[in-house]
Amino acid sequence: MARTRGWGNWIYLLPAALFFFMYMAYPILRSMWMSFTNYQYLSTEPAQFVGLQNFANALNDPLFHLGLLRAATFTAIFLPGVIFIPLFVAILVDRVGNQRLATVYRLILLIPAVIPAAMIFVLWRWLYDFEIGPINTILRDYLHLFNSFNAPQWVGVSPLALPAVAFVEIWWGLGYHTMFFLAGLASIPRELFEAARVDGASEWQMFWHVTLPRLQPIMLILVILRFGSAMAVIDDFIIMGGFNRALPTYTWTVYMWHMAFQLGTWPQGYASAVGWLGAGAMLIVVAIMMYVFRNRD
Amino acid sequence: MTSAESSLANTRSGSRVPPKRRKRIPARTVVMHAIIIFFCLLVLVPLLWVLLTSVKSLRDAYTGKLWPEVFDFTHYTYVFQKMPSVLRNFANSIIVTVATVIVTTVIAILAGYALAHLRLPGAAVVGAVLLGTLFFPTRLVSIIGIFQIQRHLGLIDTLPGLILPYITLNLALSIMIMRGIFQQVSPELVDAARVDGASSWRTLIQIMLPLAANGVVVLGIVNFVTAWGEFLLAYTLTNDRFTRTFPVVLATTFGGFGEWAFPRVAAMYIMAILPGILAFTFLQRWYMKGLQEGALKF
Repeated sequence: MARTRGWGNWIYLLPAALFFFMYMAYPILRSMWMSFTNYQYLSTEPAQFVGLQNFANALNDPLFHLGLLRAATFTAIFLPGVIFIPLFVAILVDRVGNQRLATVYRLILLIPAVIPAAMIFVLWRWLYDFEIGPINTILRDYLHLFNSFNAPQWVGVSPLALPAVAFVEIWWGLGYHTMFFLAGLASIPRELFEAARVDGASEWQMFWHVTLPRLQPIMLILVILRFGSAMAVIDDFIIMGGFNRALPTYTWTVYMWHMAFQLGTWPQGYASAVGWLGAGAMLIVVAIMMYVFRNRD
Repeated sequence: MTSAESSLANTRSGSRVPPKRRKRIPARTVVMHAIIIFFCLLVLVPLLWVLLTSVKSLRDAYTGKLWPEVFDFTHYTYVFQKMPSVLRNFANSIIVTVATVIVTTVIAILAGYALAHLRLPGAAVVGAVLLGTLFFPTRLVSIIGIFQIQRHLGLIDTLPGLILPYITLNLALSIMIMRGIFQQVSPELVDAARVDGASSWRTLIQIMLPLAANGVVVLGIVNFVTAWGEFLLAYTLTNDRFTRTFPVVLATTFGGFGEWAFPRVAAMYIMAILPGILAFTFLQRWYMKGLQEGALKF
């Protein structure tokens, strides 16, 4: 083994690199190359290089605009909920004096984190169902707030669809993100609070001036990570909505998948361009956020 | 939420005082527990509802009663005895998940160890690439390409065709978790082993791995959850009813009448989420330790 340079140690990374190139880097680059062609999966004609035509078309595609707008709306609803609710819960759980009880709380909150994504959406599609879903059953048959004509339509073509799906995502991530904040809270030295208390700071001031600044790095990372995952959400929308263009859940991601694997001759070249444009738009926002957050530190 | 938070901020001093027996519990402590319990119920009630539905008689399931008049526990056995295709889907999920978890864990241990403790030219680049994949919608942008690769390799509608891309789904995160766990081990230990003449491989197997057990548990659970419930790739790469995994079947059949009556679907659902919850319950001590040891720090 080449001790001096350490190139021999790359043997440990070889399996990881192999999978990374085969099923991540290569397909991503392949999709980029395809986005410059008019490749259609079901067409027998050979694909032709069309330059930036797909991108130009996508930029003028009202469905793509609408899809981005829908994803952005979803993100705007989801992001505050997935940051502040777990923060709130973490601060509460952190204060539980009884260690056994605190562990029980953590365990219960973490249960959704070990339920796979698709299962979560199947569950909530069911809970939200207009006719047989328990939410509407309770509202209609037990509380008598609605009848079977005016009961809320939670998913489907309904203004409630995006908030409803956002709620599901927040529900799913509640325990996991609470753990992030609990880890952050645990790393704050207790002396800081003692010192602040000696200086006569109120509890609210301590939260504002000691706890929050210490948690800020975690919050900023979570904001960026969750922004990315929210803009790219697709499984929820397919499972809970489907492929109807009128659905608020028909976002750019669903549009891309729909085109690539179901519509017409499967125009995967154009779908790749839509995918890359959407991803590019996201990355620009992420870069701006990173820049802004860096200055603030 | 601000007023609630400030009132809670006030309890900090209270909770730090050593507990005195038989002391009256302050009202704000009660409120605090009440709020936490509310969130716990919010988590539990939907799951309990499915559990309840899975033991409802067919009639009660369709009359819209929340609490059934007649219980029927045969839906589980019905699924096992009368629905062979579902059993097949279940087996598919088990195979795909076990393979993904094992391979990803091994790869992540190797890579995480090298990144944390070995001299590695280009380690900074690797770290940047790993981090970058977390911010990039890789799954979305790569799915068309993955479909084409699997089509060329003849892996559409096969289980290896799912396992191979599944391994990359959480690979970056797994490597970073493992690197974080290994970084908690002091470098002196590694140096001491080297001075004693142990190869880097022996150091990993004999010294590092026993110390990283909690991290392996975290990795196992994270990858289990991803592979067991993965939908989009499975939906894209399999079409055949018998090759599909359990979540895809559940997600694409809404349920209704006959074989797919709601209580039976609920029973399938419980069967699908129970392995994860059970594994988590048994391993929770190591899981929590693993999270604290660095799985959440990257």
